[in-house]
This record gives sequence, C-alpha cells and structure tokens, in this order.
Amino acid sequence: MSSSASQSTRYRPGSLEYLALGLLVLILGQRWLVPFFDIPALQAATTIFVAIIVQALPFLVLGVVLSGAIAAFVPASFWRKALPKNPALAVPVAGCAGAFIPGCECASVPVANGLMARGVTPAAALAFLLSAPAINPIVMVSTFVAFAGQWEIVAARFIASLAAATILGWLWLKFGKARWLQVGPRGHLVGSNSWHTFRLTATHDFLHAGGFLVVGAMAAAAINVLIPPSWMQAVADNPWLAVLAMALLAILLSICSEADAFIAASFTQFSQTAQLTFMVVGPMIDLKLISLQAGTFGRRFVYRFAPATAIVTVLASVIVGWWLLA
Amino acid sequence: MRKDVAAIILILIGGAVLRITIGGSYLNYVKEVMEPFLLASGGLLVLLGVLALLDVFRASRVSAEVVAADQQLEDELDGHVHGHDHSQGPRVAWLMLLPVLAIFLIAPPALGAFTAAREVNNTIAPPAEAKAPPLPAGDPVEVTLADYVGRAVWDDGLTLDGRIVEMTGFVTPDPAGGWWLTRMSMACCAADAIGTRIKVVDTPDLPANTWIVVTGSWVPGGGTQESDAIPLLRIESLQQIDQPRNPYE
Repeated sequence: MSSSASQSTRYRPGSLEYLALGLLVLILGQRWLVPFFDIPALQAATTIFVAIIVQALPFLVLGVVLSGAIAAFVPASFWRKALPKNPALAVPVAGCAGAFIPGCECASVPVANGLMARGVTPAAALAFLLSAPAINPIVMVSTFVAFAGQWEIVAARFIASLAAATILGWLWLKFGKARWLQVGPRGHLVGSNSWHTFRLTATHDFLHAGGFLVVGAMAAAAINVLIPPSWMQAVADNPWLAVLAMALLAILLSICSEADAFIAASFTQFSQTAQLTFMVVGPMIDLKLISLQAGTFGRRFVYRFAPATAIVTVLASVIVGWWLLA
Repeated sequence: MRKDVAAIILILIGGAVLRITIGGSYLNYVKEVMEPFLLASGGLLVLLGVLALLDVFRASRVSAEVVAADQQLEDELDGHVHGHDHSQGPRVAWLMLLPVLAIFLIAPPALGAFTAAREVNNTIAPPAEAKAPPLPAGDPVEVTLADYVGRAVWDDGLTLDGRIVEMTGFVTPDPAGGWWLTRMSMACCAADAIGTRIKVVDTPDLPANTWIVVTGSWVPGGGTQESDAIPLLRIESLQQIDQPRNPYE
C-alpha cells in the first residue's frame, strides 16, 4: 500500500510508517516499559481512563451509526415535516423527543450534528442534544433505582432537565448566530450510494468524537485520582456551596448520564437539591462534552454555549429542587 | 490525517475492545452486561476500518494523476469550502491510540487498595422504612461486603449477631495500623466505583491487594448509623485466592 501511495505526487511521507514503527517499538519494548507504570495512582488513573472509554464506546458507536443513518437514509424533508414550522415551537418538541431515544451524551453530539446538517433548526437540534442524554428512559430508570424509588427525585430530574434544554434552545434562537456554529455541508461525506454515505459519515464522526472523548476521559481520570475525597465532606455543610460544588464536580468528572445517578446517590452528605444539580448539569455540560462539542461545532460555539448551559442548568436545578425537594 | 492511518486506528481500537472482551479483562473496567455491546461495537469498528482500507486500495489502483487531482480537491475542501475545521478534526483521532496503548501495553488492573483507601463514605443510607431481612439459613453464610456493612451500620448489627459469614475481598492496609477487608462495587464503570471497607481485628497483616476468602463473625464497636462507619470483623478462617473473574461486587 505504501509503495502505491508513494507514486501519488502529493505523498506525505511518514505517518503510516511512523505509526507502524512506533507500534513495533512499543510491542517489542513492552517488557521494559510496563514497570514504569507500576505506580498505584497512575494505575488507578489508567484503569479509570480505560473504563470511561470502554463504557462510552458502544454508546458512541450507536450514536455515529444513528447519525450516519440519519445522513444516508432519512430524507431531509422528513425533518421539515416532523418538526413544527415555527422554530419557537420546534424547540420544546425536539426537547421532548429526547425522552424517547435512549443514548448517552457521547451519542447525542454526532446525532445533533447530523440533524443540523440535514437542515433542522440549530436551536431545536441543540434542545435535543441537551435533553436526550438527560431524560431518556434508561436514565430515568437508573435514577429511580439509585434513589431507592424516591419518585420526587426522578420527577425533579425530568422537569429540571427538560426545562433547561428548552430554555437553552430558546436562548439560542433569540441570541445565537449561525456563524458561531461549524456545521459543514458534508459534501465530502457523500458516497457513491447510501451505504457508502452511511459508512463515510459514521467513520468520520467516530474519529472526530472518539479523539475528543479521549481528552475528556483523561481529564476525568486525573481529577478522580487527584482530588482527595475528604475535601468533599467539608463543602457539603454549606447549602449554596454544596450546589456549586456538585455542579463543578459534575462538569469535572464527566460521568455518563446513565451512571451518574448512582454517583449522585453516593454523596449522602449533600442535600437532595445538590444531588439533583449533579444529575441535571452532568448530562448537559462536562469536560468530555465540552471537548466533544468543540471538535464537532467549533470553539466559537463552545465559548458561548458551555457557560450558558452551566448557568441555566444550575438555576433550573435550584428552582425545581426548592419546589419539589424542599 | 491520511485515510489509511485513520482506517488502521479504527481497526486498532476495535481490536483492542474485542481483545479485552473476549479475554475477559473487560470486567476490570465495566459490568458484565456490556459484553454483547462491546463485541458488537468492537466488531463494527474493525469492519469499518477494513472497508475504509479497501477504499484506499481501490483508490490507489486509479492512475496517479486522478489521485493527485482528488487529493487536491480534498485539500481544498479541507481548507476552505466546508467551514468545519478538518485540520483539527481527524488529527485529534491520533488520540484514539492512547486507549489502545493503555489496553495493550499497561493492561491496567481492576481498582484496588489505592482507591479503596481513599474513600470517605463506606455505605449508603437505605430508605428509613427498609429493614434488612434476616440472613439466609446456614453457617457460614455467604454475603457481600456491602450487605455486611449495611447490616452492621444501619441495623446495628442485629441480623449479623451470632452468625458466621463468608466474604470475598482484597486487603487494603489501614494507615492507622492493621488492615481492612475491601471490595469495590460499581454502578456502571470503574470511574464510579466505590469501595466498601471492613476492619479486621486481631489478624496478622497481609500485603496490599491480596485476594482472600474469609469466614468470621461480626463484633460490635465499629460505629453505627453513620455513612462513614467502618464495622469490625473477627476472622475465623482465611484463604488466599486468585482475583475473582469479576473483581467488583
């Protein structure tokens, strides 16, 4: 393959050969390299890093398969018919649609990107992006299980998440600028037939999102090992600090929305409103998502969308928490 | 990123997932229910990689001129036409090699004594009305560490008193002296794993991360009704074992 590639005039020497050489060196040097990693903290961090990747990968693959299928098999006209013409109405409809499609946040980024590329109003696609990982049936059931059947928590999570997603969609509709979003006309991803288009889109989206998932997983693993759990105890006593701390923790830890209820429930020293904040903020904004969104929609988008999401989700949690959980 | 390199990265990451799933070490990271999903997604990634590689072979059969023109067109698309920052996109895919290297080179073990020793909380409070049912008949009766701690802390040890229990866990040294019998449990993946600790009384120290099966009995004095209480256990018999197939509870 490399010999035939080298006949092409624009052959860039190296990357494939370096890759092969690097892998060969690592495989041959494994015996000498492994002892360098024999440090408990580094091993724990590596375990957590690999665990996040392995856990997220099937969901990510499901997401890129869905986004590829949307690109290849669903005609663009479908979305114009399915969603209300009025964008202000399309936002809550798209938000509610999130309640029916199981998937985690890693999957919803490429799906939302695919929706935008198919002409769905960005505001509606964003509402779906935010609500799908937060209120889908799997997440609701896991929350019910984690909180031992306290339906108030499940209801509060559903209401606060749907409200936050809808409000952010409307905010984008009112203040958002198209130039902040990078949704490419994906001309280069159109293949010779539908199956080829499906394959090109899925491959492209996977390589994109996968790389950024790695960045988020590394950050989460490092924080997981570096922050002493005893610091948490001290924060829980102040109700406002507790809410902000749980929001920050949700952002830093980047736990999959299908698992975060169990983590939230384990913070028994925190108030229920603080636990709710953890579960509303996490699926919509965390390090892994910021990284994924930056790769998919561009940095100009993330600079504006991430802080807005953080503020709206915290406010929604506090208000709904005060209403239902006080 | 070149298309052939991208294809190989797909095959490597898919292959790494297949390897840990078929080899069983995936249980160090995620739950057993993930097995079919890991097999499906790993297999699909390998398939996508192989098909992408076939695309490259097919393209290389076209004459060099056409390839050059195609490449130029692609560069133009990358640079200008679609505002999508391609130079950053696929380049970030190189990072997908990191989990592959971590899996093949480091093969990180299940979380052990390092993580277990860092925990603050030891048990989650059950809903107020829930009382643990009596333990099943038979001595010794096999229980999980989380069950033992829950009964000892929230039911004041009532259902454990006078019984012989059998538990499987690993050794975590207590910085204050002696050691804990510990086991990690996870809700979803190792990133959310939490440790359960039981303080072992009057038993000589063992090296950290030694897996053991013990029988013993509950003794009062470990504290109750607090999520950070660590109950006590007096060991009657102790046997060293290999790490169980599923290291988590």
